[in-house]
Amino acid sequence: MKTGKELKPGTVIKLENDPWLVQKAEFTKSGRNSAIMKTKLKNLLTGYKTEIVYSADDKLEDVILDRKEATLSFISGDTYTFMDTTDYTMYELNAEDIEAVLPFVEEGMTDVCEAIFFEDRLVSVELPTTIVRQVDYTEGSARGDTSGKVMKPAKLKNGTELSVADFVEIGDWIEIDTRDGGSYKGRAKV
Amino acid sequence: MKASWDVFCSVVDNYGDIGVTWRLARQLVAEHQQGVRLWVDDLRAFVPLCPEADVNAARQWQQGVEVCQWPEQWQPTDVADVVVEAFACKLPEGYLQAMKARATPALWINLEYLSAEDWVSGCHGLPSMRPDGLKRMFFFPGFDAGTGGLLREADVLQRRRAFEQDPQVRQAFLQGLGVFPASNARLVSLFAYENTGLASWLDAMAAGSVPTHLLVPQGRIMGDLLRWLGVDQLALGSVEQRGSLTVQTLPFVRQEDYDHLLWSCDFNAVRGEDSFVRAQWAGRPLLWHIYEQEEDAHWVKLNAFLALYVKDLSPAAAQAFTGMWHAWNSGGDMAQSWNLLLEHWPEITAHAERWCLEQSLQADLAQALVLFYRNWI
Repeated sequence: MKTGKELKPGTVIKLENDPWLVQKAEFTKSGRNSAIMKTKLKNLLTGYKTEIVYSADDKLEDVILDRKEATLSFISGDTYTFMDTTDYTMYELNAEDIEAVLPFVEEGMTDVCEAIFFEDRLVSVELPTTIVRQVDYTEGSARGDTSGKVMKPAKLKNGTELSVADFVEIGDWIEIDTRDGGSYKGRAKV
Repeated sequence: MKASWDVFCSVVDNYGDIGVTWRLARQLVAEHQQGVRLWVDDLRAFVPLCPEADVNAARQWQQGVEVCQWPEQWQPTDVADVVVEAFACKLPEGYLQAMKARATPALWINLEYLSAEDWVSGCHGLPSMRPDGLKRMFFFPGFDAGTGGLLREADVLQRRRAFEQDPQVRQAFLQGLGVFPASNARLVSLFAYENTGLASWLDAMAAGSVPTHLLVPQGRIMGDLLRWLGVDQLALGSVEQRGSLTVQTLPFVRQEDYDHLLWSCDFNAVRGEDSFVRAQWAGRPLLWHIYEQEEDAHWVKLNAFLALYVKDLSPAAAQAFTGMWHAWNSGGDMAQSWNLLLEHWPEITAHAERWCLEQSLQADLAQALVLFYRNWI
């Protein structure tokens, strides 16, 4: 069993005997210490998509999935091809199947991802908890702050924007936490 | 079309849950001719809002609503056409089983908390599918058209205006509570949780150039009030004078009379969801003591409302208003923020009425629920 608050992209739950893939999950506190999870689900049998809300403590039946290590091979339009690192099998996913991690998927990335399979079919991919990406553009340091507490916007190679420490410069490699949708963790040693 | 409704209310925090559900139940009956059962797990919280009620009755009719004691051991009962689970209060397992067995599915609604945050309209009206096949719909009150709106009786503003236009009615209401304010006094109501900021606010009002008459209905703020007054106890209705400030305690009043109190005052400090909304329909400047949440989540909600509320105020008035709310909700120094607010009093007062009118243009929550059901069947 999984609770509503444990849902995350890549989780598959069973509803009325059908497997549903969580494509997106947004956690919000509602009132008086209760919380809700807004999810985007895709029926893995029919392809039908819907938005559903769960209370954080709702109990849901999850589906046991196979997980394998995979790396990104190449991107062609909206199709993302991943390769099983053990047997070199290629698998394709659409952009919307990996919507939650898409901002941090870019050509040439070497991260070893977790490919998620339902009945031998690749349904989603999870990135490692920490990934390293290069800053493609950011303004120069405005205040000369070195504490890491003052933040400024920055852009990655694939156009994804995020906040980074004021001292980060163009070309710097940074660590990103993928668990919270992609927050800056610090400058990476490359 | 008359549908049957079961509204479930679990009393968790004082009168907030029962305040909202009792008001909703009455409105569904009075304005939409629906058949409503209100299930309450603690009738002791209901009686102050409806003094005619019998705290021990398993079932009773009040103002057209069948009010039922929600028993610890659930007894089988028929399932209504619409089931409202207020604030995710968890329906009894036996009732869920009966819902599953019902020939025609009931519309199951989780009535959520009020929030002005952006995400609310994105979640309003969305379903929640359960593994057992039951489907629950999430219904969010709110301040814009993408939400379920606010609880508001169709005639509430008309009744308020009639009350305001007849000074004798106001006077009679206040006299009925034993309140005789000086003709030039600013009347302020105070209903709040414990607050360390109270003393500084009372100091400021006591030192003010305009007399203030503070009316304090029974509640959790009483301890802080007694400490500031330097007394061990206060009989209900008794009056204490400190400088320009007259402090008077009041008994807890039923919802209808609380409206009259809000309409009688120039400024209302409120707490809880129902009082917060009623203070907005009063069209007076207000101060909300929000329910404190883990990880300071309440600040996000408070600021979301403030951003919406002050957007048409001048920057200086908006800052004064926001500053006062921040001070009150952090238990900080209220003296400076109160005095700053007074500098913008005419603008903030006019804005309160405008805000009330603007919000009243939205469909109200009860109406939205009835429409939701009609569209669902």
